[in-house]
Amino acid sequence: MVDRPLDETELVERSRRGDLRAWETIVRTHQGIAFRTAYVLTGSAADAEEAAQDGFVKAYRALGRFRRGAPFRPWLLRIVANEARNRRRSAARRERLSLRAAAEARPGDAVPSPEAALLSREEQGRLLAAVERLSDEHRDAIACRYFLDLSEDETAAALHVRRGTVKSRLSRALDRLREELEGEL
Amino acid sequence: MTSLEIRLTALGHELDRPAEPDLTAAVLEQLSLSGTRPFPWRRAAALAGALVAIAVAAAFAVPQARTAILRFFHLGGATVIRVQTLPPAVERPQAGGLGRPMSRNEAEQTLGFRLTLPRFEGGGPRRVYVIGNSVGTVIVRWQGRRMLLSEFLSFGGQSLKKLAVNATIVDPVEVNGRGGLWLHGGPHTLTYFDRQFGFQEQTILVHGNVLLWLRGQLTLRLEGDLTRSQAIELAETIG
Repeated sequence: MVDRPLDETELVERSRRGDLRAWETIVRTHQGIAFRTAYVLTGSAADAEEAAQDGFVKAYRALGRFRRGAPFRPWLLRIVANEARNRRRSAARRERLSLRAAAEARPGDAVPSPEAALLSREEQGRLLAAVERLSDEHRDAIACRYFLDLSEDETAAALHVRRGTVKSRLSRALDRLREELEGEL
Repeated sequence: MTSLEIRLTALGHELDRPAEPDLTAAVLEQLSLSGTRPFPWRRAAALAGALVAIAVAAAFAVPQARTAILRFFHLGGATVIRVQTLPPAVERPQAGGLGRPMSRNEAEQTLGFRLTLPRFEGGGPRRVYVIGNSVGTVIVRWQGRRMLLSEFLSFGGQSLKKLAVNATIVDPVEVNGRGGLWLHGGPHTLTYFDRQFGFQEQTILVHGNVLLWLRGQLTLRLEGDLTRSQAIELAETIG
């Protein structure tokens, strides 16, 4: 008999009953996005690691209150983001997002993505600088939605706002970026 | 997707990100050390309900027993626990820490219930602050004092508010013929829980006196520099 991999619903159910092996699988599956979300919000790798770790511990303990059938990832990201916000640094002390070195390739990056090819390094730098000049709430919305590629629901959960608020923040942030970069885009 | 959105998505792929740590060992170690299983909130809520009925009856019937029984007390959507040491908490900033400001209509939609409010000059509060999609708070001015009135559903399982008390004295009181609690004499912490997601939202340190009471399906909480009789007098005008 071959063991089939458990789906997330089963893993959550098993974790809810105290199965730490099941929770380990969930941590492995989601730790990347949890850490990246926390990093965007805290602006510090050390704080992000701590926030993500504590988020997984608190989420496990709160599993009894997770609504069965609800999407799991937004629920988890909301807890992690809450931990991250508690450790958030001021804009001045935050590590700024930066471009990776031009020659540096990620595993699996055979060629630049078609989207990346649209932007020169200089354009990328200007766009990133404009994002960093946005207010915190607009910057966070842009970072979660586009840099982390979170869905609107996940962005809403991470930012602890309603979906409508995410839409309006994104709309205002995009307008602001267009104004700043007028003529370049 | 607009051209700007495509460029932002592309930019996301080009960002320099710190190496992602493997958290599994640390998470499992923390959970193993604490020996904690996920907390059975629903069963606990049912048990708490049963305990409440017994505790309330006993506390109000036997005055000498009140102090001992009130070490753990539950009133509507709030739980009061007397502890030796207060948990870590943040001081609530004067103008913040109450949650997201919004209009009354928006707040009632978010909270899922109609607020019960005192008479306001001009017809209503300018702002309602909402935290955890479960607790709505308005600033009330009464006899020259500024107070906070918070409201949340008494029932429903996912909407839970918890108070941890150290040197604070907890007295049972009556407001409009229904049971309430009067907390005074020392600081305590106040922890908000998210209604939808159920995890701890924020823990703050409270120095003022607090009156908790029930009205309809709601638990109300009044915090400020008031005596017990003043707080009850104000509470009885609300609604």
